Amino acid sequence: MTDFQSEQEFREVMDRTFSLMSEDPEIGPELRDADTPQRFEFTDLDLVVNIRAGGPDEENLVWEWSDDVDWEPKVKMAMSSQTANRYFQGKENVAIAIARRRIKAGGDVKAALAIIPITKPLFAHYRKMIAADYPHLEV
Amino acid sequence: MTLDQAAKRVGVVPATLRRWVRQGVIPHYEGAWTPEAIGHARVVARMRDRGHSLQSIREATEQGRLASGFLEALFPSDVSRYTLKDAAREAGLEPGLALRLVTGLGVSPEQATTVSEDDVQLLRYVAAVLASGFPLDAVLQLTRVYGQAMARVADAEVRLFHLYVHEPLMRSGSSGTEIAEQMHALSREVLPLAAPVLDQVHQRYLQHFIEQDVVGHMESDLDESAIDLGRMRVAIAFADLAGYTRLTEEEGELTAVDAVERFVEAVEITLPEQARVIKTIGDEVMIVGSDPATLTAWAVGFQRLQSGRPLPRIGIHYGVALYRDGDYFGRAVNIASRVAARSAGGEVLVTRSVVAYADSHLEFERIAEVKLKGFKESTEIFIARQRVPE
Repeated sequence: MTDFQSEQEFREVMDRTFSLMSEDPEIGPELRDADTPQRFEFTDLDLVVNIRAGGPDEENLVWEWSDDVDWEPKVKMAMSSQTANRYFQGKENVAIAIARRRIKAGGDVKAALAIIPITKPLFAHYRKMIAADYPHLEV
Repeated sequence: MTLDQAAKRVGVVPATLRRWVRQGVIPHYEGAWTPEAIGHARVVARMRDRGHSLQSIREATEQGRLASGFLEALFPSDVSRYTLKDAAREAGLEPGLALRLVTGLGVSPEQATTVSEDDVQLLRYVAAVLASGFPLDAVLQLTRVYGQAMARVADAEVRLFHLYVHEPLMRSGSSGTEIAEQMHALSREVLPLAAPVLDQVHQRYLQHFIEQDVVGHMESDLDESAIDLGRMRVAIAFADLAGYTRLTEEEGELTAVDAVERFVEAVEITLPEQARVIKTIGDEVMIVGSDPATLTAWAVGFQRLQSGRPLPRIGIHYGVALYRDGDYFGRAVNIASRVAARSAGGEVLVTRSVVAYADSHLEFERIAEVKLKGFKESTEIFIARQRVPE
């Protein structure tokens, strides 16, 4: 079982992941266009992050590690930090993870479905980052 | 090219070609028989065979409706023809086998009496595959799969080119000659890119399915050796949209087609690696996977990702199917299809063969033992759901 060494490391990896998505010339603009605010709850660490598309003077994605945000999430996902790590490495099938209760999905689940193909190109970037800087998280 | 040579390529006598030029139905003829002029003349010949008058062909040409005829000039002109018997001898094959191969690869039986040098080369490739020891039955199936897959690709290329390039040009008010020139220029640029793209996509899928095959061998049951050659034990799912006909009637065809496209795309992007879409027929998708537990978990999770109508309905069976020409046939396939037809929107129905391999995260409620349409024995049907946590 691969585990993050600390809550701090998890946040660091996720911040870098969201930055990768936001700054990627293809993924970033597509997620901005999709305009789907999402709330992720990481159940084992009791952490919540809210993500939305950036406004005109902002980056493609804006995120806050809090529920104290001035926007409403359209999609809600709850999962463990391990599942998140497996998902971003392309090792977790969303539909199967939902059936097996590794991911709980709520809100506009069809909007979540639309985001899956946009984020798939991220997996290669994430795996590269993990291999280079966090090899203990490779699955 | 001389008039006589051009006439031979078009399949008419020289006097006919001269008459067509005089009557203005070959707009690109300017004293020489260029590939473009011959390409258009071949289209005219086909239209004449279908009973169209020269007057109506001239009008269609002026409006740009026959502009795609010029694209024929982009293809290699192979005039050397072999009889099928000669072609078979060249490739070292029996004439009967050569006929089966070329028809499988897209040459119609009527055209197969004579074939081109390129077709002969194609037969040499296939002969080399057979000589390497690849079984004849597998080679015949593979050539049919290649033929069908390429026919689908080429059909889509031509139809999409027509819808998104030719039609808009015709509506723009451009002259027939302008339309032909623009289409010719675009095609000359785009067409050579198709082969490397297809090659790369083929390589990628080949790598994927080799990996899946290796995994399948590792995980197959020991009793699999008892299954007849050409058959395999697979999990088969059929999924479609409940109330699709009603949706089409109430909301119109475009809305219904949009719903189907979103549904098929959602299936494709969520399927696990061990499963793939075999075919789609209207709003119905046939999926085959190696592992019944994984496919059923996918189906239950997929339903959880749905909201609003039309909801999908899914039926799954695990059994031995006959694999032929890239598709699956037989009793097991029919059972899966019938089970899907029994399900309601949002449901996943499965047979006992699936329950036997159940995922511990799912629960199965036996809802009926029914005689499925066309079957003598009754089949137990279960509804699959997420297990409620204790």
